[in-house]
Amino acid sequence: MSTEGTTQVAAAALSRATVEQQSARLGEPAWARERRLAAWEAFERLPAPAVARPEEWRRTDVGALDLGALAVPDPQGSPARQGRHGPLVRDEATRAGWLAHADGRTVGRALRAELARAGVVFTDLACAMREHEALVREHLFALASPEEHRFRALHGALWSAGTFLYVPPGVEVALPLVAQTWLGTPGGVVFPHTLVVADQGSRVALIETFASAPAERRALASGVVELIARPGAQVRYAAVQEWGPSTWEVGSVVRARVERDALVHTTMVALGGDLVKVDVEAHLGGPGASAEMLGLYFGTGGQHVDVHTLQEHAAPHTTSDLLYKGAVRDAARAVFAGLIRVHPGAQKTNAFQANRNLVLSAGARTDSIPKLEIMANDLRCTHGSATSRLNEEHIFYLMSRGLTRRQATFMIVEGFFADVFDRLPFETLRGYLQARVAEKMI
Amino acid sequence: MADLAIRDLHVQVEEKVILKGINLELSRGEIHAVMGPNGSGKSTLANVLMGNPFYQITRGDVLYKGEDLLAMSPDERARKGLFIAFQYPVSIPGVTMASFLRTAVSARRGYEQELMPVAEFQKLLREKMEALRVDPAIVGRYVNEGFSGGEKKRAEILQMALLEPEIAIMDETDSGLDIDSVKIVADGIMQMHRNASGGMGVLVITHYSRILQFLRPHHVHIIYDGRIVVSGGPELAQELEERGYEGIRQQFEVIAAEVQESGAIRRAGKVFWVTH
Repeated sequence: MSTEGTTQVAAAALSRATVEQQSARLGEPAWARERRLAAWEAFERLPAPAVARPEEWRRTDVGALDLGALAVPDPQGSPARQGRHGPLVRDEATRAGWLAHADGRTVGRALRAELARAGVVFTDLACAMREHEALVREHLFALASPEEHRFRALHGALWSAGTFLYVPPGVEVALPLVAQTWLGTPGGVVFPHTLVVADQGSRVALIETFASAPAERRALASGVVELIARPGAQVRYAAVQEWGPSTWEVGSVVRARVERDALVHTTMVALGGDLVKVDVEAHLGGPGASAEMLGLYFGTGGQHVDVHTLQEHAAPHTTSDLLYKGAVRDAARAVFAGLIRVHPGAQKTNAFQANRNLVLSAGARTDSIPKLEIMANDLRCTHGSATSRLNEEHIFYLMSRGLTRRQATFMIVEGFFADVFDRLPFETLRGYLQARVAEKMI
Repeated sequence: MADLAIRDLHVQVEEKVILKGINLELSRGEIHAVMGPNGSGKSTLANVLMGNPFYQITRGDVLYKGEDLLAMSPDERARKGLFIAFQYPVSIPGVTMASFLRTAVSARRGYEQELMPVAEFQKLLREKMEALRVDPAIVGRYVNEGFSGGEKKRAEILQMALLEPEIAIMDETDSGLDIDSVKIVADGIMQMHRNASGGMGVLVITHYSRILQFLRPHHVHIIYDGRIVVSGGPELAQELEERGYEGIRQQFEVIAAEVQESGAIRRAGKVFWVTH
């Protein structure tokens, strides 16, 4: 951080003044500050999302959120380093680089020297803005506009400690890069922004983790992930969300633009938080583009998880394959709404969508809403959704071999998620998630 | 006392009474066969002994090594050495045989927090698979998923071999198998029985006598309409083979009518009926 202000010692309210201070603290160029202020203006102008986009927000009520009670964490504070996600980041042999953000500040970074020499950029967005201004200016918010809704506008005004990843044409990064976002301030907000630009024919993978302190006070997160895969590029991205039990994540989006012959693989894992509402989208913009979308969510206690997905086929000969699986227990609720949209002229599209849910308790519920908007006539498209309860015959069979009811249930849940685990593009993630799912069973 | 003592067991599903007073005693080292026509309550008996929650026990009790079996959960029964080879084992998607078997063996062998060490388990598994001539590829597959009828039965026997039960119930393990497979499965059971040297009792539940040619039971019981109506030695199975269930049925119906009238204990030929 180049500018260390002295005026700010406490957490700051969500206000225009805070937006300006933040931009100044990060030493941003004028265009970036202006974008933030325009976003703030949009935030003040836009109605609540439940009013602006009632269908998308019908199953998740964020009306109880008191923005006045929230504050931007003190940038001078010394945030406690998070303990979670260690297995994903600790072992240097399994990753090509590492970036850590805590309470809106970037607190650690590493990138293998040979990658830096090859022109790979993996750093925080503020730093990237100084060192690669043209690249950032061109792509930042290219896929997501603050005008989309109020939370996105708030994000546009107050995002900080973003992750920037650029891979030059033809460069292949074998191991995944890892970025961690941590929110340690009770009642704090975090607006993580991730921008990935994979240039022509390049290959890269990024695993991001999100977590917050197990504080009593409500915290808020609202993130934007922009993944740009230029022609022939391959991007594998995973978001592992394990917010603390009082955190709300509202209005986040993972959005990919997949150009000609490019491939984007996204994995969305939602295990934490109190209320979570995220969108995951792939826009297939060039012939030969393909997207694979994996999702795993597990709600326990009173958790509420609402995921909307979009497979948008805007060019011919494009493929998308989505598999989202979720389990709910106790009084948890999960919503999956998946849309496949095929534009006129997007012939020879292959689009697959499957959503499976497992309900483990009588008080838990899931909604699964698959939707199709097909405006082409030569394509293959399938979608299916199913919700099942724990099968007592399966439990009895396993118990008859000596497994306790808990062991039997765990085995069935693990089995339920097995095809998602099998399709995960990262070995480290597989072991990590198996352990986390096991933890959720306790 | 016998290791497994079933006394006056009455069982129903919803309003339908299926078992109407079963009495049976079986000890380790013994092989018993329970034979009966379809719908006589054979599978119900097997499932109730294992603790299938689908069935309601309305009367009677079962002692296992002197303890109240019916008060135990299915997993407790299994850990204490009771085993059932199911007639229709369910398939469980996503759960590999390897992981399932290791967890099961660990439970039976009393591992509490951890599982049996992988190397030790693999050695045991290899041994048992070789002895039973089970294709090793099975362990990488999901539990019973996509298994042929024969593969399912062999997988059940493999589980039995790994869990080394003290009392094993074979629920129509022979059904749906060709004669060669019946022989392989029966040889496996006999081998386990021999190796246990008196430590394992077997209750074979079957419709047909053909598996009994290989299993050589010490005792044969005929179950009919929820009761054991005839008990005898191995010759009973032979007789049933020759005369079929029709002969039993005729004798049974005569007594049933008489018992209905007088409520007494009756015996006619090989059929007897004890009212309670």
